[in-house]
Amino acid sequence: MRFARRIMLAATALLSSSALAQETSLTVPIIAPITGLLALEGTSQLNGANMAIAHAPAGLKIKSQVIDSGTAAEGGANALERVAGDKSTYFSVAPLFGTQVLAMLPVALEYKIPILAPTGTGPVTEQGNPYMFRLYPHDAVSKAAHIRYVVEELKLKKAAILYNTTGYGQSGFKYMSEYLTKVGGEVIFSEGVDLSAKEISATLAKLKAAKPDVVLIQMHSASIAMVVKQLAAANIQIPVVGNTTIAMPATASLLQPSELKGVCAESASWLEKGADAATDRFINDYVSKHGAMPDAYAIQQYDGLMMALVAVKGGAKSTEDVRKYMSTTEYKGVAMRYKADAKGNLAHSVVIVCYDGASLNPKLVKRYDNVAGF
Amino acid sequence: MSRSAHVRPLLGAVGLCLLASWPLIMSSPYDLRLFTLAGVFAILAIGYQFIFGNVGELSLSQGAFFGLSAYVSGILAVKAGADFPQSFAASIIVCVLLAVLVSIPVLRLSTHYFALATLGVGQVLLLVAIEWQSLTGGAIGLSGVPLPKLFGVQVARGWPLLLFVWCFVALAAMVAFQVKRGLYGLACHVVRQNAVAARSLAIDPDSIRFAMFLLSAAMAGVAGALHAHTIRIVSPEGLDFKVMIACLTMAVIGGRTHIWGAIAGALLVVHLPEWLRGFQQSYLIITSSVLIAILIVAPEGLAGLVDRLLPPQRSKSPDSDGLSPIQDRTSDGVLMPSETPILAVRELTKTFGGVHALNNVSFSLMRGSIAAVIGPNGSGKTTLVNCITGNYRADSGAILLGGGEIGALGSDEIAARGVGRTFQNLRLVDDMTVLDNVAVARFRAEAATLGKSFLIGRRDEKLSRARSHALRVLRRVGLEHAADVNCASLAHGTKRLVEIARAICLDPAVLLLDEPAAGLNETEQAELARLLEALAARGLTLLIIEHNMEFLKNLATHMVCLDYGELIASGRPSAIYQDERVIEAYVGRRQAAEATA
Repeated sequence: MRFARRIMLAATALLSSSALAQETSLTVPIIAPITGLLALEGTSQLNGANMAIAHAPAGLKIKSQVIDSGTAAEGGANALERVAGDKSTYFSVAPLFGTQVLAMLPVALEYKIPILAPTGTGPVTEQGNPYMFRLYPHDAVSKAAHIRYVVEELKLKKAAILYNTTGYGQSGFKYMSEYLTKVGGEVIFSEGVDLSAKEISATLAKLKAAKPDVVLIQMHSASIAMVVKQLAAANIQIPVVGNTTIAMPATASLLQPSELKGVCAESASWLEKGADAATDRFINDYVSKHGAMPDAYAIQQYDGLMMALVAVKGGAKSTEDVRKYMSTTEYKGVAMRYKADAKGNLAHSVVIVCYDGASLNPKLVKRYDNVAGF
Repeated sequence: MSRSAHVRPLLGAVGLCLLASWPLIMSSPYDLRLFTLAGVFAILAIGYQFIFGNVGELSLSQGAFFGLSAYVSGILAVKAGADFPQSFAASIIVCVLLAVLVSIPVLRLSTHYFALATLGVGQVLLLVAIEWQSLTGGAIGLSGVPLPKLFGVQVARGWPLLLFVWCFVALAAMVAFQVKRGLYGLACHVVRQNAVAARSLAIDPDSIRFAMFLLSAAMAGVAGALHAHTIRIVSPEGLDFKVMIACLTMAVIGGRTHIWGAIAGALLVVHLPEWLRGFQQSYLIITSSVLIAILIVAPEGLAGLVDRLLPPQRSKSPDSDGLSPIQDRTSDGVLMPSETPILAVRELTKTFGGVHALNNVSFSLMRGSIAAVIGPNGSGKTTLVNCITGNYRADSGAILLGGGEIGALGSDEIAARGVGRTFQNLRLVDDMTVLDNVAVARFRAEAATLGKSFLIGRRDEKLSRARSHALRVLRRVGLEHAADVNCASLAHGTKRLVEIARAICLDPAVLLLDEPAAGLNETEQAELARLLEALAARGLTLLIIEHNMEFLKNLATHMVCLDYGELIASGRPSAIYQDERVIEAYVGRRQAAEATA
């Protein structure tokens, strides 16, 4: 009996050591703004990344390292410098804040380390940096879908545009203005709103006086919630088509269903249960852990990180291997298919969702795949 | 020698060794990057000390100059392809030019108004940076700022960039050291502690504040340009108020007047959040708690804490420094009062709202005379002194000094022309020695300027001469023994004497003393009277405001009495004491009638 037990123990140890030998160890730095004005979006990004690590392919021994990039321009670059020298780091999750990503690019190039950022801000993939991978649709793409929906589906062409005076807001405003003009529309009113603004009744009065037939918005979560609430309070009955942040559960929870009635938004991704097992697993685990549906930042970060982990699982043994995989392979995520273009843009699908006024969960109304800019 | 005299140099040497060995021990690329950034912010904080520390003005535009400089350097490098020396120089020049423009309206303000006005500068620049997208790249900023390149050689990241930046830190520290250590630095200190006293010593606080504001802006320009070329992007975040808060935190945590405090503050503020990032969402709370704890333990900053625990050696008096006090060139002979008025007040009127503080007051003082101004409380005595010394501008009338009109001049200019004064409420600088409190009165005589302070060699000759002169004055008033003592530790009566000594050190033609005997015992009053008589005997004209009639009785040769702003009597003391209107003003009509009866 004792002999048999020893044999069993030895066999177990052998199997375990063999399994350990097959495990690939890697460190995944998650650099995201989890404090400051972008904390809401950054936390979603972090949640998505953590979920990807939890669902990582078997055989990967992952050590995650969460680093807050705050809101300083150099926050992301400092963090990347901190992790880039580590030999077990094959890539890094980068913040959704475009300015920080721009500052990270020289560091990424010097260390030849791929960075995965769920940012839509235009210039980050315009710098000719082969290590930059954008997980979120380029603003040129998401705004093309945004304007197509307004003009082709809603048949509205006289727009008022409200945007945050941030890189994200200005980039969206630029593309929306250009595209609307190209399709024969007109921006009859526009105003940049500071991220810290809490009251915009004067702006809304001017907007109303301009008599637009649609209000387009490109703002961060807190700002867009404030604008939608004040539009409802002012009883301004003009259709609103906003950007992805108004489709985020965390943003919607700041409003009443009635305030969201008729509000539509473009979003990078849309998940519904029943599509496939991987999607169901992601939704179930995410909701169970965070008590809310994942938003676009969480979904895109989940997919993007999972794609990189699959690369490592598939044999990528260096930062260069991961870069090659990311730039050449098509990957099917829970939200869409990802395929890098020559500039590192991975996401090319956009959806339009609308609120019905009865719940805080928007409904999918339109899907645009392989969208190209105008 | 005290214990601190041995320990402080040792501590300084250890600090320098630690600073030098820091990047050798923590030498990963990440550590080198942080150390480089800390250097950039150290320059910013050293620069901020000029305006915030040296002259005590809470400027909130230092972050704006920093961000502006980064933009200028970044735009020139990215869009115009300018070399580093060009973009670097341009960014400093633009900052200084903006500081000149801003200072025209802003430096007229003080306290919180000054802070708010300077805050506005940053807000305007931030809006411009965000909205002028074609030039600045808008809210996302401009990327692709190159690393510094000098003489065709690019300064690489890591050690080369670190050494490059810290060379500028050393340069900034040297500039700050030169400004602070001489007579000009002493004048800055007086301006910070008491601008009114500074003006009475012929120091123009406005010009010093202006110079310090420009120097701060120039340093912010250096830091901003280096920052742009270090992080290689310029964005509105560089103009954000958070940069200003960080700068303020560095100056306060490190110590607002110590150069090494600024460097320590920058190292701490840059590194602390990075060291604590492992705590994820909690790290900001922990960072703030640590900084608050430091402020509780050391409200005067880390440098101040060291000063408290290991007090610095008092500045030595000239004797112990190998210098002798300047010999008195004048003889001890007696000059008789002249019949020529040295100071004449003609129909002077000053009103505050509906109150006539002075109403058509006229009198003259002869050279070498001792005149007294008496009158009940609220009669206008101090207003008279404030008008003569330029603290108040009279509504009408004339004030002539040696025949020349001085009524339209500023108080520092009037002091420079020979009108010294003391204050009813003492205005000494408590954290300066008696010697330096007195020596600083030589600022104008020694023609100390910011430009000249950069040229100071091993020792500031101007300061040495000023101290020698001050020591001579202190000998004359019997305070030589207290020369190296801080004013804070002096008795009230001694402080009065120090203030008189300070005014004498100005070498005035007329000395106005506002209640000099207040708080002195009889012996001290007698000594003071002897001193004043001796000064008058040397040709100094004295105008004394005093309630103490006993003190004045044998001292004053002439008296004027004010009541409700009007001159009601003028003449010899014996006559004034018998004057009915004077008695009535002091004791009331009924008592006056009884007294004269």
